[in-house]
Amino acid sequence: MGALNQVFSHVPESGLASMKKPFIEIQGLEHAYPLADGGQIVALRGVDLTVERGEFVALVGSNGSGKSTLARHLNGLLMPTAGRVWVEGLLTADPRNLWAVRQRVGMVFQNPDNQLVASTVEEDVAFGPENLAIPPGEIRRRVDEALQVVGLLDYRTHPPQMLSGGQKQLVAIAGALATRPACIVLDEPTSMLDPPGRRQVIETIHRLNTQEGMTVVLITHSMDEATVAQRVLVMDGGRVAMDGPPEHVFEHGERLRALGLDRPPTVEIAHRLRGWGVPLPPGLLTVEALAGALC
Amino acid sequence: MLIQVENLVHTYAPGTPLAHTALQGIELKFDPGERVGILGPTGSGKSTLLQHLAGLLEPTGGRVWLDGVAAHERTPAARARKRQVGLAFQYPEDQVFEQTVFRDVAFGPRNLGLKDAEVAARVRWALEMVGLDPAAVEGRVPFTLSGGEMRRVALAGILSLHPEVLILDEPTAGLDPRGRRELLGRVLAWQQQTHMTLILVSHALDELPRLVERVVVLNKGQVIADGPVRQVLSDGALLRAAGLDVPQPVALLHALQKAGWAVRTDRLLPEEAAGEIARVWEQRSRGTRHRSVSKVPRGHREPEEDIP
Repeated sequence: MGALNQVFSHVPESGLASMKKPFIEIQGLEHAYPLADGGQIVALRGVDLTVERGEFVALVGSNGSGKSTLARHLNGLLMPTAGRVWVEGLLTADPRNLWAVRQRVGMVFQNPDNQLVASTVEEDVAFGPENLAIPPGEIRRRVDEALQVVGLLDYRTHPPQMLSGGQKQLVAIAGALATRPACIVLDEPTSMLDPPGRRQVIETIHRLNTQEGMTVVLITHSMDEATVAQRVLVMDGGRVAMDGPPEHVFEHGERLRALGLDRPPTVEIAHRLRGWGVPLPPGLLTVEALAGALC
Repeated sequence: MLIQVENLVHTYAPGTPLAHTALQGIELKFDPGERVGILGPTGSGKSTLLQHLAGLLEPTGGRVWLDGVAAHERTPAARARKRQVGLAFQYPEDQVFEQTVFRDVAFGPRNLGLKDAEVAARVRWALEMVGLDPAAVEGRVPFTLSGGEMRRVALAGILSLHPEVLILDEPTAGLDPRGRRELLGRVLAWQQQTHMTLILVSHALDELPRLVERVVVLNKGQVIADGPVRQVLSDGALLRAAGLDVPQPVALLHALQKAGWAVRTDRLLPEEAAGEIARVWEQRSRGTRHRSVSKVPRGHREPEEDIP
């Protein structure tokens, strides 16, 4: 053991850990919010979870199930009341790791208007890297690259408030990307957007995952959006109640309903047809897949 | 209340380089007790139209008539009618402003000059209506509420006025499916009891058919469709052209029709669409293969035109 330590002594801790550990590891995570009257609201009651590099995880659950609280632990915005969270082996509760953790995990929130701070799109996207004291030339490169990825390069000199809701949310995503995180956590990024805005954002997230290998954690109330993920986590009462690929999770209609959730209409139709004896293979999450199986 | 929108035009910042015409001659009529959905992408003019219905904006051209009185006028008659129009904004933080939840919800009833006991009763009723426990939330500071709770408080503040016309702008954004079902179910039950007019802006195509009888589609400041919910929401081409989503059951039925299936495409709800597909599947398999669907309910009931 001593020899092994010696061999690896020059390897930075995070580098060593990333070879062995999942990208995000959570053990026994509990979180309680203190109330003014001395009481508390318990939001997480013991979450054990690992997320591998490159995974696309959808986090669903009813209001108050603990999804947003869990998300805020993934980049050290909250500190555990009990339990531990590691990002690439870095313990989030260790204040020395805070910047390293936040550089690895970018966050995007629900309301784009609360996240945009500058007078042009490119200045807004540059805000993150500027705070990391990155040289100007490198910032320029990163900003252009981030805007390219979300498809807004032509808008770089526009004032953000002149953009549509969907475009504003893409600017917020570009801002998160400009710090070059390995993972992006999005907390209901589409719930204030219209259908075209939603499509834009979801397509961009999907592309980031499949083409750029970005690890994605998407919090959503839309089960349609959850079908885009490889893995769906259902939260209930501060715990993980279900965990699996969307086609498996959506098989349990009764369970989902009991947890306050619905299935996408297409999945519901396929389920009813199977019940009536129409032979259909499992899965079939999209209109195209179900139409293809029927014809 | 009868609402008539007559050639309504609204231009923001007129006479400046930023002039933007949000509404270009809208003609609409809402009968008392109607339940109407309004659809349209961002920038279609929806929010501007809603504010006109509540008499909050002055038209650039045309008029909104509330029982024959021009809505934007500053006369006692116009004010009395505007008080009967409750508009719940999309962003609840735009309208929740008091120091406690009780005071916030009580604000409207107090302004109506109601006695304290009646105000308190309305506040309790409205909070229960939106699914909150009055005892638990009345004393809380609105800004310590979650987004979903804040939205409910804002809606309670409108319901406590007992308006004749209730206008909801994306009332369920950010609520989970169960919260949505419960809230809309209660609002619908109350609508049927009181016969108030319900005008609902929503992108939730799976819930709209359960709530409204009629749908108006706006695009670029104009009405591009106005008709029964079943007819408008099954028009895939129209919805797509406006940049809107097509309900999944409708998209599926269109795909099957394209593949030669003799299906009706105006089945908006999953259970209706499944019944229609099973019916046609059985016919097709009887003709070609010797298979049959075992448990399709015999004489599967054709849904009535009015869905809820």
